[in-house]
Formats: sequence, C-alpha cells, structure tokens
Amino acid sequence: MSHQVKGLKEEARGRVKGRARSGSPPTGDRLGRRPSSKRAPKAQGTLGRRGAQRSQKERTGGSPSPGSPQRKQAERRRLGEELGKQEPSKAEGTCKGRRKRDERSPLKEQTAPSKKEKEIPRKEEKLKRHKKPRSSSLASSGSGGESLSEEELARILEQVEEKKKLIATMRSKPWPMVKKLTELREAQEFVEKYEGALGKGKGKRLYACKTLMAKKWVKFKRDFDNFKTQCIPWEMKIKDIESHFGSSVASYFIFLRWMYGVNLVLFGLIFGLVIIPEVLMGMPYGSIPRKTVPRAEEESAMDFSVLWDFEGYIKYSALFYGYYNNQRTIGWLRYRLPMAYFMVGVSVFGYSLMIVIRSMASNTQGSTGEGESDNFTFSFKMFTSWDYLIGNSETADNKYASITTSFKESIVDEQESNKEENIHLTRFLRVLANFLIICCLCGSGYLIYFVVKRSQQFSKMQNVSWYERNEVEIVMSLLGMFCPPLFETIAALENYHPRTGLKWQLGRIFALFLGNLYTFLLALMDDVHLKLANEETIKNITHWTLFNYYNSSGWNESVPRPPLHPADVPRGSCWETAVGIEFMRLTVSDMLVTYITILLGDFLRACFVRFMNYCWCWDLEAGFPSYAEFDISGNVLGLIFNQGMIWMGSFYAPGLVGINVLRLLTSMYFQCWAVMSSNVPHERVFKASRSNNFYMGLLLLVLFLSLLPVAYTVMSLPPSFDCGPFSGKNRMYDVLQETIENDFPTFLGKIFAFLANPGLIIPAILLMFLAIYYLNSVSKSLSQANAQLRKKIQALREVEKSHRSVKGKATARDSGDTLKSSSKNTTQLQLTKEETSPPSASQSQAMDKKAQGLGTSNSARGTMLPASGHLPISRPPGVRIDSGHPLSQTHLWRSASGKSAQRPPH
Amino acid sequence: MGSRSSHAAVIPDVDSIRRETGFSQASLLRLHHRFRALDRNKKGYLSRMDLQQIGALAVNPLGDRIIESFFPNGSQRVDFPGFVRVLAHFRPVEDEDTDQDPKKPEPLNSRRNKLHYAFQLYDLDRDGKISRHEMLQVLRLMVGVQVTEEQLENIADRTVQEADEDGDGAVSFLEFTKSLEKMDVEQKMSIRILK
Repeated sequence: MSHQVKGLKEEARGRVKGRARSGSPPTGDRLGRRPSSKRAPKAQGTLGRRGAQRSQKERTGGSPSPGSPQRKQAERRRLGEELGKQEPSKAEGTCKGRRKRDERSPLKEQTAPSKKEKEIPRKEEKLKRHKKPRSSSLASSGSGGESLSEEELARILEQVEEKKKLIATMRSKPWPMVKKLTELREAQEFVEKYEGALGKGKGKRLYACKTLMAKKWVKFKRDFDNFKTQCIPWEMKIKDIESHFGSSVASYFIFLRWMYGVNLVLFGLIFGLVIIPEVLMGMPYGSIPRKTVPRAEEESAMDFSVLWDFEGYIKYSALFYGYYNNQRTIGWLRYRLPMAYFMVGVSVFGYSLMIVIRSMASNTQGSTGEGESDNFTFSFKMFTSWDYLIGNSETADNKYASITTSFKESIVDEQESNKEENIHLTRFLRVLANFLIICCLCGSGYLIYFVVKRSQQFSKMQNVSWYERNEVEIVMSLLGMFCPPLFETIAALENYHPRTGLKWQLGRIFALFLGNLYTFLLALMDDVHLKLANEETIKNITHWTLFNYYNSSGWNESVPRPPLHPADVPRGSCWETAVGIEFMRLTVSDMLVTYITILLGDFLRACFVRFMNYCWCWDLEAGFPSYAEFDISGNVLGLIFNQGMIWMGSFYAPGLVGINVLRLLTSMYFQCWAVMSSNVPHERVFKASRSNNFYMGLLLLVLFLSLLPVAYTVMSLPPSFDCGPFSGKNRMYDVLQETIENDFPTFLGKIFAFLANPGLIIPAILLMFLAIYYLNSVSKSLSQANAQLRKKIQALREVEKSHRSVKGKATARDSGDTLKSSSKNTTQLQLTKEETSPPSASQSQAMDKKAQGLGTSNSARGTMLPASGHLPISRPPGVRIDSGHPLSQTHLWRSASGKSAQRPPH
Repeated sequence: MGSRSSHAAVIPDVDSIRRETGFSQASLLRLHHRFRALDRNKKGYLSRMDLQQIGALAVNPLGDRIIESFFPNGSQRVDFPGFVRVLAHFRPVEDEDTDQDPKKPEPLNSRRNKLHYAFQLYDLDRDGKISRHEMLQVLRLMVGVQVTEEQLENIADRTVQEADEDGDGAVSFLEFTKSLEKMDVEQKMSIRILK
C-alpha cells in the first residue's frame, strides 16, 4: 500500500505541475479561486464582466476585511482540510494525467475534431461546479443583508447570466436525464431568487415587494404569536406566579387551568345536549308531579336555608336527575332526551379518560425526549444554574435560594448514597409510623361512616339544626384539614429522603381522601338501598291514590273530573336526585372550606405577621408563625378529588358541572390573589415536570375509581319509578336497547345483538390482553436497552477518564500531525511548481486544461473528468457520470492497478 | 429605504460591524438606541458605571463578570462596535448559518464562541482554566452565606472531579465544552430579539 500512496503523491505533484504553468499565485486560498476567475471570462467573453469579476476577486481573495487575520487563518485551516480530502480525487485524476502524457501525440490527433464541441459544455460544467460553493455563500450573504453593494450586484448579475445560459443549452448537454433535471432546477431557483435583486425592470419591484412581504409576514407571525399568548387565559398571571414562586407552584395553576378547560367541555356537553333541550322543549315546570314541588314542601320551598341545601325549587329543577321526563322524544325536533341523557353520561367519562390519557402520554414523550443524565450534575449546576433573564431583585433572591437548595439537595443525595446507619432502628420507626398512619386512616374512615349513619337518622327527624344537617361535610372538611399535618409529623419519624418523603405524603393524603370518599359512598349506597326497598310500597300508595281520586263517588258524572294537581300526587323518594344533592352539597362545602382556609390560614395569618410584627416580642416574619407557603400537594389533591366528585355526581346532577366551572373560575382568581398577596416562595423548589405527570396519574386513578360507583348504579340498580328520564324501565341502559329496536333498522339490531354476544366479547378482551402484554414487554425491553446503553456510556466515560493522560498526549500529537500534513501539502505544491520545466505551447495549453479540470473535480461531487475523452478505453458519456463516489473509487482502483503494473511490487 | 439609511448613517461604519457580527441593520439600529440610552452623559462610549445600572445585571451574581467581559484587556470604556461584538454572542443561530461558507471565520454566535463566552465568565484570571479557587469564588457569589465553607469546597471538589479529565485539578475550555456537551447552548444562549 505504501508504494501506492507514494505514487499518488507523485501524481499529485504532476497534476499541480500543470496548474503551476497557468500562473497560479503561491497562496493557498487563491489557488482555489484562480481558475474560476480565469475561466469565467472565457465562457462569457464580455470584457465588462471580466472587470467586475477581477475586482470582486481581489476583494474576496486579497483585500483584508476588519477581521482579516482571523479570516485568513480560518481559510488556511479549511484549505488544509480540503487538501486532505482531495487525496482520492487527485489520485483519480492523476492516472489520467499519466496516460495522457504517455499517449500525448496520438491523443491529440484523435480528439482534435471533437475537441471544440466538447470544450464548451465541459467548461460550463466546470464553471458551474466551481460556482456552487460560491453561490451558496452568496445566498447566505444576500439573504443576511438588506442592501447589496455594487460589487455584489455585479457578481450576482454575472452568475445569473451563467445560469440562464446553462438553462438555454441544457438540452444539448451529454448528461443523463436525472442530472439535467437537478441542474436545471438548481439553476432556475437561483435565477428566480436573484434576478429580482438586480433591478431589471419589474423584477426589481417584484423582488422588493417579495422581501417586503417576507418581512411583513415574519412580523405578522410574531404578532400573531403574541396575540395567541395573550389569548391563553391567565397566562400572564401564571407567568407572574412562576417568576415569583417557581415552576412547581405554577404547575398547580396550569393544572387548574387545564382542569377548567376540561370542565368547560363537559359543561358544554351536558348543557348543550341535556339541560338546554329539556328547558326549551320539555314539559314546563308544574305540568307533571316530578316537575312540581310537593304540597308539603311548598311553603318553605323558596326559603334561603332550604335552597342552600339544594332542596325546594332547586331540587325540582333541571339541575337534577329527577326533573327529567321519560318521554321518548320531546319537542318538534323529536329529540330523544333519555337516550341523549344516557349517551352524555357515557361520553363525559369517555372524554375525560381520553383527554387525561392523552395529556399523560404527551407528558411522557416530552420527558423521555430530554434524556436526563447523571453525568456532570455539579458542573451543570455550577455553570448553568443562573437564569440570566432575571431582572427583579426579589426573583433573584429566590433564585439564589433555589440554587442553594439545589446544591444542598445534591449534597444530601451524595451523602444519602453513602450513609451508614442503624438499619434496625430505621425499620422499626418506619413500621411504627406506617402503623400510626394506618390507624389514623381507619379512624377517619370510621368517623365518616359514623357521621353518615347519624345523618341518615337526622334526615328522618324534623327540626334538625344547621350543624346536624351539615355534619358530614364539616367532619370531612375538618379531617381533610387536620390529617395532612398530622401525617407530616408522623412522617418525620421515618427519616426518608425528602423527595421520597413527599411521595409518601402525597400517597397517604390520597389514601385518606379516597378512604373518606369511599366511606361516604358506601353510606350513600346504604341510603339508596333503603330508599329502593321503600319504593315498592310508595308505588302502591301512588297507584291507590290516583285510582281512588278518579273513581271516587260524589262528583258530577257529566263533567269530567279535573286531573289531580301534580303537587298532590304522592311520590317516591327518587334516590338519584338524593345522590345528586349529596354530591352538590359536598362540592359547595368543599369550595367554601377551601376559600375560608385560604382567608384564615393564609391571608389573616399574613396580615397578622405583617402588622403585628411592629409590636411583638420576637420576629414574627422570620420566627414562628411566619408566612404560609403555598401547599402544592394539598391543593392539587383537593382539586383532583373535587374533580372525582364531579365525575361521580354529574350523572345524577347535570348542573354539578356548571357549579364546578364557576368554582374553578373563582378559585383561579382567588388563589392567584392569595398566593401573590400572602404566601412566600418555597424553601425547596422541586422540578415541576415530573410531578405533573404524577398528578395526572392520580387524576386517572380517581377518574377510574369514580367511574366504578356510577357504572355500578347504572348497571345494577333499578331506576326510580316516578322520576328521571329512565323511569319505568328495569335498568337505565335499557334505553339503548329501546332505541336500537325502535329507531334503527332491524339488521342493525341484529348486528348489535351479535356484537354483544359473549362469544365475541371474550375473544376480543383476550386479544386486548395479549396486545397489552406484547406492547408492555416491548417497551420493557426497549427501556432495558436504553439503560444498558446509558451504562455503556458511563463506562466509556470512566475508561476515558482513566486514560486521560494518555489521551491528552494523543490529542496533542493529533493536532500536530494535521498541522504538519497541511504544511507538507503546501510545500509540496510549491516544490512541484518549481520543478516543472516549461513544455511547448500547445502542450502547455492542454495540460493547463487538464489541470483545471482536475482542480475542479476535487469537490467530490460530479466527478466528470475533462480528460476522460482522451482515455483509450472509450465509454459512452452517460455511463461515466452516474454518481461521484463509486466512480472515484473505480478510478482509484484503476490508478492503483495501473501503477502496480508499471512498477514492480516491493 | 431612504429613511432607514439615514438612520443607519448615525452608526459609524455599519457595514463592517454588520459583516463581523451578522446582525441585521434593524437590530443594529435597535442596539444603537439601547447603547445611547445606556450612555448617560452622551460620552459616545460606555463605562462600567453605565452597565451597572442595568437591573438584571445588578442582581446577577455574575453581573460583574459579565460587565467585565465588555471591557477586554482592562480598558475603561467600550464603544459601540465592542458593545455589539459582545452581544453578537447571543445572536440566535439560524439555519442558514450552518451551511455557510467555510471560508468565513467562525461566526460569533457559533456554539464554540457562545461556550467560550460563558467560559471566560468563570475564568477570572484568564489563564484558560477554571481552577478550584475560581470556582469557589463564583460559588460564594451564587449561594451567598447560607452554605457553609465546607459544603462549598465539597461542591467545588465534586465539580472538578466530574469535569476534569487531564487531572490538573482545573477545568480547561475543552473540558468545559465536554461537560456542557448535552446542554442546548445554541438555544439557551440566544436572545430572540437579536436576530
């Protein structure tokens, strides 16, 4: 191989010999430019252009710009690289050079007639090839600056002319079609882009117009972006909070906003498809018993205390399940309200599930895309932690604190990883803490169950006090208020890492809330069953009353008896509405408790601390009470559970979503105000992005859990006989069957029946399980591969570090090598120039052309060699230039083989 | 066009500045406005005092270092070209810049130059290395008094240990680049308005 390389170098020298005669200047960068400047006038033949070209060449090549030393250096460096790259193409050219030299005279005779024809296209191609880098540079400079100098204009003009000529003569070129097409396209693009800039008639105006429009478009886009940002509700508020309290607090508000959006959609669904049609087209209030306040309640139905409990007129309104009639179609639209009611109930859950899962998936994608690494944690913190856009001194203080805490956390992590301690004691304490907390949870569950039972007794009694009526809500709110701090106190025993501790805390509060909710549900279910048991007797009583009323004697037979006033009809307890009212009350009381807690716990405390600090024995602000921090986990969990209640209750109380929308709206403003006015930033700022998905996971869990009771009641409890859209049916979902039977063609009914066949459903479920299993295993293996790769990288880094001294030396040597080689190249070039002896004029011309061609062919692409026509092995032109790379390889091989044939192997 | 050029005429040798920094004429004009606004006594140059009145720099722990970077070689004043040259580090990287002519010098807003700018903020004595001592100084600026000296030294040691590859107990520019390899510097060290 070594002799081959040597040979290549010799050939390279030979090649440069030719060029040297064309009078190329000694400096490297001119070497690259010279041929183009020489050839361009030839091709065009206009003197004026030549002048322009000259001046331009001088400017770019020779004349120094302000940063010229730098620039020259860069150029030299680049040249070195290029020379390194050129090696193969040189070799490929050289073989031809040698052959040419060998068969110089016969060749000339052979090619003399055809030479002229071939010259032109070849030249042009050379030209073009050479122009390419230049034109690209021009493009960048042209698009960067607004106005062009005279020289630049001239240059562009000339190039545009060239391109035009190329387009005109494209047809007669001996190129394959693909190449023609690409060249044509490039040329056309170029002409289109720059013709306008040159001020040719309307082209200039068009160009100016175009650039103006482009600028306007950019500005418009920016304005539109701003506008979009302004359109996002509360964006500024949230940004304000984020800048003061960090992303973790802002994440709560973003979550709240997201929740508000979801609730708005649900609200639209329920109001648009259920409540508004019922109000507009359904029977009016007072027309039938279920839409009328009973006689016994009529007197107090408008009292505030009654309305506050969602009794009286509110109970018999479209806000609750019981108001809806079981008429199949209502109004002139023949709107199928019961069907719509059922479908909306299903789609509320469907939409919520979909949106939660979708946002979770998008969150995960974002988090995996970043790819956190364990390397360089300290370096990252050290070098990149400061946010240079902070301009507010308070925020800056926060940033100081957060940097400090993050450093502290890292140190804690470090220490945690190599901490030795009494494992038995820790274990014991952890078990103890868990035991205590489980006791707390059980106690709170029992307390709620007890209270709910008691409230059932109260509801039977008359004249109960306000406390007795609202006992359940009060107890639940108090538990929600006092248990989390208690848990925190107990958790101090466990001595967990703070981050793990936070997770545990969240989990425990979640368990508490969930336990409370489910106890509440169980008690409610008892109530429902009780009511269902009574229903049969009430049904009989109703029938009996109506029967007696219409058949009793003592009424003039001739006049038909007026129907019994709806208020007087005895009716059932309508357990659905009762459930709806419970959820409604819970939601409202939850909202009020939240607001009062904020007012008392945050605002009053802040006022107290702020103003009593002047006359107090110790520093209130820094000492004991201090200001409150924003409780992210508590607030997020509260929001999640509130949403769970909405999901559960919205089927039986369609108006609940409306209330919730109001609640979220007010709490957005109220909490924003409270946070900004009376809270202080957190001591430890933890990352928001990860916990966000954690919240979403909790939300999904709650959604699923709230789906269960609703599904249970819909599927397995009979609806009340005299209220609601499904009254008179055995089960609520019978409405589906009814619709299919009555409103769809029979074959559809058959298809549905077929689909509902267990023989089809069970395989489908099995298939789904299989798919889940498969996808799960795939993702597992992928993540495993990921972890392994990471480990590999880590290992690699370790190895690198261990060999650092060796490597350091190696790099030093490397850089030295490249330097040397580049310098060697240049010296070689110069040497070869001096060595060459002047041959005869015609020969020199031929050589000249060859060298030029070789020079241009260096740029790897389009390796058509001008000398190829002189080769004894004649090939059709089409085959020669299919692609640069393989061709150059073949040439390399050929040159190598040719050399080995000429020289005896060593 | 006419009004613009008359505006642009206010700035001395716009073209050369533009060529060097890659700023557009419009942003140069904007910067010039800013420059004159910062220049309180219409001196035609900025002193350290002028820069210190910027709020964002006053609260920045590295603010002094940043101001210092405007004054190379211990000079007391920075003129407009110098001002722009420093700011050119923060010009966003455009797509067109990536495939540009290799003959040109590396633009000031290249990744390397951005990193180098950040590096020299930490390199107090300009010896091309961030020593443990310099790191401690910066740390003290960044975290204040809430962390004990021992912890600070701990952090500095860890950082050196992480980033140092040739074992000289200091972070050279090469090592600095390597440790921030994954950082999206092109994005982070760019100010959108400096197009």
